[in-house]
Amino acid sequence: MAPQMFSWSKTFHRVTGGKIQVNYQSIGSGAGAAQFLEKKLDFGASDVPMPRDKYQQAAGRFVQFPVIIGSIVLVYNLPEIAYSKTGMYLNLTSEVISLIYMGEIKQWCDPRIKALNPGLADKLPCKDIVAVHRSDGSGTTAAFTLYLTRAYQPWNQTVGWGYTVNWPADEKAKGTGAKGNEGVSQAVLQTPYSIGYVEFAYWAKNKDKYDRVGGVAFIRNDNDGMYYFPTAENVAMGAAAGLERYTRKYGAKPAPDADWNPVSIEFTNPPRGYPILSFVYVFLWKDYAAEGYGDAATKAALLKEFFKWVLTEGQKQDNVVEGYIPLPSEVAKIGLEALNHIKP
Amino acid sequence: MTAERKAEDITAVRMVINWLGLGLFALLGVAAVVPLFLIIGDVYVKGIDAINRLGGLWHFLTELPPTPLDERGGIGPMLVGTLYMTALGALLGIAVGFPLGVYIGEMRKEKFANVARAGVNVLVEFPTIVVGLFVYAVMSLAKEDLNRYLLGPISNTISPLGEWIPWFIGPLDGFNAYAGAAALTLIMIPYVALITASAYASIEQPLREAAYATAGREFNALFIVLRKAVSRAVLTAALLGTAKIAGETAPLLFTALGNLYYASFTGPTAAVSLWIWYAAQTSYEVQIDSAYGAAAVLLTIILTIFIIARIRG
Amino acid sequence: MLGFLLVVLLIPYLIAAYGLLFVKLRWGLRLFGAFIVATIGLLTAMFLVEAYPIIARDGVAVFFQTRWDPVRESYGVLQALTGTVLTSAVAMALAMPMAIGVAVTINEILPARLRGIFGSLVDLTATMPTVIFGLWGLFVLGPFLKDAVNSVSRYLVGDDVMTSPYTLFTAGVLLAIMITPYAAAVIREGYALVPKPVEEAIYAVGATRFEAAFIKLRYVRNYILGGFFLALGRAMGETVAVAMVVGGNFSRFTTNILESGITISSLIALIFESGITISSLIALQFPNAASYQYMVPALFAGALLLTLFGLAINAVAIYIIQRGQI
Repeated sequence: MAPQMFSWSKTFHRVTGGKIQVNYQSIGSGAGAAQFLEKKLDFGASDVPMPRDKYQQAAGRFVQFPVIIGSIVLVYNLPEIAYSKTGMYLNLTSEVISLIYMGEIKQWCDPRIKALNPGLADKLPCKDIVAVHRSDGSGTTAAFTLYLTRAYQPWNQTVGWGYTVNWPADEKAKGTGAKGNEGVSQAVLQTPYSIGYVEFAYWAKNKDKYDRVGGVAFIRNDNDGMYYFPTAENVAMGAAAGLERYTRKYGAKPAPDADWNPVSIEFTNPPRGYPILSFVYVFLWKDYAAEGYGDAATKAALLKEFFKWVLTEGQKQDNVVEGYIPLPSEVAKIGLEALNHIKP
Repeated sequence: MTAERKAEDITAVRMVINWLGLGLFALLGVAAVVPLFLIIGDVYVKGIDAINRLGGLWHFLTELPPTPLDERGGIGPMLVGTLYMTALGALLGIAVGFPLGVYIGEMRKEKFANVARAGVNVLVEFPTIVVGLFVYAVMSLAKEDLNRYLLGPISNTISPLGEWIPWFIGPLDGFNAYAGAAALTLIMIPYVALITASAYASIEQPLREAAYATAGREFNALFIVLRKAVSRAVLTAALLGTAKIAGETAPLLFTALGNLYYASFTGPTAAVSLWIWYAAQTSYEVQIDSAYGAAAVLLTIILTIFIIARIRG
Repeated sequence: MLGFLLVVLLIPYLIAAYGLLFVKLRWGLRLFGAFIVATIGLLTAMFLVEAYPIIARDGVAVFFQTRWDPVRESYGVLQALTGTVLTSAVAMALAMPMAIGVAVTINEILPARLRGIFGSLVDLTATMPTVIFGLWGLFVLGPFLKDAVNSVSRYLVGDDVMTSPYTLFTAGVLLAIMITPYAAAVIREGYALVPKPVEEAIYAVGATRFEAAFIKLRYVRNYILGGFFLALGRAMGETVAVAMVVGGNFSRFTTNILESGITISSLIALIFESGITISSLIALQFPNAASYQYMVPALFAGALLLTLFGLAINAVAIYIIQRGQI
């Protein structure tokens, strides 16, 4: 999320003639939320909504809303069936992915993988799968494991989701870690017979390199049974479908000062579209003066102006960084309404 | 005859061992340095190319950092932040590390000196991020009172004197350049101390006695007479320490935090190392380029410090 | 208030210490010694305070467990400690010979003109920013080592030993490159200051240059020890570069123990797997640790363990030195 926030900050800086500086630093979603609650930061951004226990502490005093959509792809390194060689990508499902990272599926020639890929079944080698995951706590891991938790029950029971999880593949199979999206990306490119999850942009920018050694996976949406390729349109389809499901279930759109954990559950594994997606959430206080910030009135006004711009102009294609997907307009409206809650 | 032959054989064997052994030492010595060339080469080749792509050296040194949507950018705020925090950190690091090193090296017989030496050894091995967390903790505890009783009144009195003053002195935010400098100081002290200690400990006894005899006071002996004997090592210590903290990243993460803009030193401050840490691991060419350009700039600064000191000392 | 007093009293303390240097030198110097001891004390106190919650909950289990499971709030730093020990061991095994090689090369082999340049080059390696080392390790060293080690192992045992470019071994090699200059700086100092009479005596008995080097190295063994500890400390504390190349497998140690017990060969196999060290664990996990209840205490427990480990090593060193002198 940092590149997008950074871009917005700089563009806004230019648009306001250099008057307003919004300094955004990436220190991790967890730190962002914690520092925000400790009032060390003026606003926080995170890949997951405010965790429930922290939400209780500050319930009603702050708002959270999505500002952009991110997505995660599964990249793999399998020289025998590389895209450049066969012209085909692998199909994967949440079940198979879970079993790989749980260390239950240990080799590429496992019948469960072959069943999903009849066209490539005879070419899949009997080599050990190296399952690459993150060594640092990360929102990418959180979104990825949240998806697996919602889509495949045994994953929910054994592993769960979070910024870091205990990967059974580390013990039972050849699981290995790497630092950052860049580390996972490099590890997969360098290690034959590996698979890893990375943010959309890391694959999009290196598509040719991945195609030469393997490729990216089509993921099946368990709700409508179709296989989706990671594209901006398919992700946007997923986001819109998720919002629909939430509205149908709860009868109204999510409120900005509510706990968004139930919301993110509805957006995870949506009824249609590419199923692995996540929102970037922003946290703002409702009343900066009451919370004890210096210069509260100016700060609040600046923040409102900035985020209003982010939710309108910032969603236009020119201002969106490659690898991120703009919000559907109904979702952006939630944020705009949230800004009205902020005094003055 | 036989004895001579045996002696010759042994000598021949010893000569062979001599060449092999020296060769091995030379190989090891060169091996220690080869990676340096590889890394410097890698960084400069990519860095200079990047700086050209991003708009030329002057722009690179002064402009704001590039976003993924930009085509040009620079490391202006980062350079300023690194120079300021490194200078402060180095000053304090030498100020505390040098006397500490003298103590450890010169007064080895005392028990407390050995305790201090152990303390310095332990400080060296702390994860650098933990030092930053320590400064962060102290900062959190002290910030409110510090601002209210000390910095607030001081800045109110001084700031009418000039518009630039609030950039340096004023109420501190949770993240600021001084916390960053403090963390860097703590990192630097053990290095300066240990190398200085080595220098003082290695002075031969006759020389030391002569120094004490001619100098009168111990202070004169240690710092004035023996100056020449230790100055090279102390200079090395100061240089190594300064260059080291110029490149540190982890201690700054929770103290200076980082900044994308030119801003006051009383708030979050940018640093070249933090930018490299962030930008090199994104997937956007323009940012990766700026990281390599920044690395090339940082290396050049360090090389310059080195060369100047070698020429003078 | 406490923090405020701490900061405010610091400046007068240092000024007083400096002033004392001019009046009563020894006491002034002692004040500086006290400063460092107090700093260590404060740091350790902070570790204890921060780590207390998890020690209260789990007792010493946190030090003996290898699971890192934030979802269930179950943490153990044993794997990290093992990683620190193994990477440091690899690093020191490679760095000490290189450092000694540097000292001998500079003082015995090179002509006088090249000595300064070579020495500066070695020092320059020390000053290279750790982030750049990390990046080089990520993009260049890791893949290179994987190919190199695997070619050797394919020849020896018929199988690839390194599954990924980012393992404890990669971290150890990178550390060796980074810490050699520190050990070398200290050893060079001592080596160059071997007294003339001693050197003349060595050559008078007809030693070859190699044998002379050996004798001189024995003569300066205290410096070698000093360099050893400086480099070791650096290796244990290195955070950023290690974090980028060490991998991140949090559970391998348990598996290895369960399968084959603690043997030399299982430890060697562990080196070529991806792992974690205490310093990199803290760097990698801390940013998001505030979201969890016990992760921050667990990380500080790791820092505490590292400190105790370091103190233990230093105690052993002091013992060795004392014995050597008696």
